[in-house]
Parts: sequence; structure tokens; C-alpha cells
Amino acid sequence: MHLKELSLINYRNYVKLELNFSSNLIVFSGRNAQGKTNILEAIFLLSTGRSHRTPKDKELIRWGERESVIRSLVEKKEGSSLVEIMLSLKDKKKININSITAQRLGELMGHINSVLFSPEDLKLVKGSPTERRRFMDMEISQVKPKYFYSLQQYNRLLGHRNNLLKEINENSSLKKTLPIWDEQIAKVGSYIITQRLEFINKIGKIAKEIHKELALGREDLDIKYNPSINFNHNDASSITEEYIKILEQNHEEDIKKGRTEKGCHRDDLTISINGMDVKTFGSQGQQRTTVLSLKLSEIEMMYKQTGEYPLLLLDDVMSELDKYRQSKLLSYFNKVQTFMTMTDYSDLPNDIDSNMEIYEVFGGKVAKI
Amino acid sequence: MNYYIEPIARLINELTRLPGVGNKTAQRLAFHIINMPEEHVKSLAKAIEEVKEHIKYCNICGNISEEEICNICKNPNRDPSVICVVEDVRDVMAMERTREYKGLYHVLNGTISPMEGIGPDDIRIKELLQRVQDDRLKEVIMATNPNIEGEATAVYIAKLLKPMGIKTTRIAHGLPVGGDLEYADQVTISKALEGRREM
Repeated sequence: MHLKELSLINYRNYVKLELNFSSNLIVFSGRNAQGKTNILEAIFLLSTGRSHRTPKDKELIRWGERESVIRSLVEKKEGSSLVEIMLSLKDKKKININSITAQRLGELMGHINSVLFSPEDLKLVKGSPTERRRFMDMEISQVKPKYFYSLQQYNRLLGHRNNLLKEINENSSLKKTLPIWDEQIAKVGSYIITQRLEFINKIGKIAKEIHKELALGREDLDIKYNPSINFNHNDASSITEEYIKILEQNHEEDIKKGRTEKGCHRDDLTISINGMDVKTFGSQGQQRTTVLSLKLSEIEMMYKQTGEYPLLLLDDVMSELDKYRQSKLLSYFNKVQTFMTMTDYSDLPNDIDSNMEIYEVFGGKVAKI
Repeated sequence: MNYYIEPIARLINELTRLPGVGNKTAQRLAFHIINMPEEHVKSLAKAIEEVKEHIKYCNICGNISEEEICNICKNPNRDPSVICVVEDVRDVMAMERTREYKGLYHVLNGTISPMEGIGPDDIRIKELLQRVQDDRLKEVIMATNPNIEGEATAVYIAKLLKPMGIKTTRIAHGLPVGGDLEYADQVTISKALEGRREM
């Protein structure tokens, strides 16, 4: 996948910006708060329909303007496509794909695939389990609509059960309805578990290989799915059985606390290097490398699923990596078109391919160097 | 709304209580009513009043009725060995439109929904259990909606009926008839796939 053209009108701090890309490595260099990340954000928006920085589309429109247009031309194996997003203060955002208006946000998915890597992604290793569940959920939902639907269902079921638990404290006769919620939660939950299991198995293998290379063969990265429900057999029906059993065992406890203590809403991942938990025992550098391995695995996963490499967006991550990891990461641009931001392009490793495009970003203006 | 004289403002206000009627529609209806011949207005007002006076709920199934017992429960040609359990009176109408179903109904008047504070005692489950005592009854069809709350209610009732030795069935869900596979959403298709049957 290759992004050929990008144009922004009234987007963030850009009045009008038109860029044509011909190479596989594009660098945006400049001081802080000049608009480097805004360009990566626009590419991410074209690929997912959302900004990675804000859920509010209105914030993306240039201050004082009413509408904003983000347009791009992307070349793929199957041909090129024109993807266009129009944001407006008043209306919902409009998406045009090859000049045909999309009816739903979902239609945008798959036209431009991208993997974004920013310093905040360190949360994936250091943050709470919520971050790691979000990572799994986002990745699986992209390829399986049923998974996304099941998550929504699960959350609703959980809401019902938790409300019921609180009500039982006041009216104990309601306890007889608890099993019907257990049963449904277990059914939906066990589907979610099997999908997560499959996903972690796949990405775990890829990440192990990538990490070995990044760490010069000295580190063995292991990603383990850590479900809140223990089960012995991996098929959905026996997980459902175990799930129901555990929910039943916890009835008294759950009623006392007024919430459901066990279930896939409490799942986590354990990420370890040479058997040590990276979250607690990993050095800052190991944690960064781990996130890098996961992100690069995402690229490989997408390639396996779609037969095409996504775009790689690197937001200010170079300064945090050592020279070896920098060049390893940059070696990807041979197959993956890479867009990166940095404060000073002269910090780039010297041995890098000279066939790259460097842009100086200054106060909403972009100049090619 | 002080630019309307009081009677109009009051009518508009009353009309906005109806479902699907917002301020603009209410305005339009109100001005239409003003211009209607007087006898039409009177018969409309009377019809509204009478519907509230005369409509009762059937003592047996909970369907709307003019008398204590509804036309379906009273009809000797209906099959008393089957009861179809639905959430709402409107679902009875929907089932009746098929002209295929010859059994009786039971209207629950809602579904179990802890998030809204509705438990099994708040809907007409007790009444159903009483009806099940009838020896003629062979089967109960659960026709609650295929959403989370409808499913939970169906499962709950089925659990109560099973030990009583009554056959309990659930209506199928999946692809709409006459629809195109290509236009169905992914979730519906995967549900339909789960519920496939051997031919």
C-alpha cells in the first residue's frame, strides 16, 4: 500500500496543504507545536475514521472555520483509490470513496490500513489491563465484525447482571434470576475468550521472532493470554461450562460487592522477557522494545490478513530508541511506506537510504528539503 | 410558546405527549384540527375518550379486549394446547397477521431488564404459570424479541416450565424471508449460520 497524495484543507493548523509522495520513507522534521503530528493524525483518520488524539471531530477543524477536507490517493495491488473525509461543525462527517459517498463508517475500513506507533503506546506495557484489552479488542474487531458485536452485547449483559446484583441486596427473591444472566454472559464471553486466545497465539509467535531480532537474540519475548476464567479445554462449549461454574461459585461474593468479579471484562495479558514480567521488572528500554515488537507484529498480521502491507506512522519515537533499534525499525521502510515525525532530521542514522523525502514543518507550512 | 393563544398552546402541548410527535408535527396537527368541521372534531375527541373507557385487558392472556375475556381466548376454534408468549400487545397483532397461528397467546407486558429495574414479578409470568396448570396445554412457544432482554426472559420462563414437563420452544431467528443474503448485516448472517439445519 502506497500513499501517493495527501491534501488537507482547514485541518488543524493547516489552511491548505498538498503533498505528493514518491518514496517509501517520508520524514517530517521541525520544532514542537508546528504541526508534524497533525499530518500523521490525518493519515490515521483516513484509515480508521477517527483521530488517535481526540474523539471529537470538531477539534480537527481549523479554528474559526466551518468545514475541513482531508483527501488522499492510495495505490494498492488491486488499483488506486481516492479516499476523502469531510468534517463539518454542523453535520456528521462525510466519507467519499472513489467519489461515492459511504453510508456507514464501516465502509471506510480496509481502504487504507495503517499502524501508528507513538510514545503513548508505552501504556500497552506499563498501563492498566484496560489498555491491553483495548489493544486486543481493536485488532480483532477490525477483522471480525461479530467480535465487535459480541463485545457490545457482553457489556450490556454485564450491565444487567451488575444492576441485578445490587437489587438482590434489597430484594433477595430476585436471586432466582441470576442464572439466566450467568448463562448468557458465559455464552457470549466464551466466544470472546476463544477469539482472544486465537489472536494472542498468532501475534505472540510473530512478536517473539521480531523481538529476538531487535534484542540481538538475547531476549525471549512471551505474550500470554491471562483470562479471568480458568479453563482446561479450548473449545467454546467447555469454556462456557467453566464460565457458568465460576459465575455460580461467585454468587455470594458478587452480591456482596454488587458487581461481577470474574469474566472476560477482567482479562489481561502477561508480557514477559526471559520469564520476567516486563510491566514490573522490565527496564524502560525493554518496555519500549516490547511495544515496538508488538507494533511491528501488527504490521505482519495485517499483511497476512490482507496480502498487503499497511502504512507505518511513527510519531516521535526515534529519539527514544537506540541506534540499533532505530535502524531495525527503519529497515521496514523497504516494504512498508513509513511516515515519521522528529524534531531534527539530522538525528537520523547515517547509513539510511538516501532515497527519502524530508519535509521541514514550520507553523502550518511544509517545505521539502 | 406565548405567541399562541392559550387553547392552541394547550392542544399543541397535549399532542406532543404522543410518540413520534414533536413540536412541529404537533403544530401542524393542531392547526389542522382548528380547520376541521366541528362534527369531525367532536367524533375524534369522542373516539379518544371511548377507547380509554372501553378497552380492557383480557383476564386470561393480557391482550387488549372490549370485554373481560378477549376474542382470541373466547374463540372455541383456537387450539388450547399451544400458548405463544409475547412481550407486547402489538406482537399479538403481528402474529395474527400471519393467519397461520391457531393457538392462544400470553402477553407478558415487558421483559426482565435489571437495568430498568424490571424483575420477573413485574411482568405477567405468575399468570402464565397459572395457565400452565391446564391439562390441555402441550406446548409453550417463546416469541420474545431476539435481543438480550427477550432472550433472558425466554430462558427464565423455559427454566420454570421444564420441571413441569411442558414442551417449550423458541422461535427461530436469522435471515428475513424475501431478503437478499448480500444485503443482510454480518451479525444476522452469522446468527443464521449458527442456526442452520440439515436438509
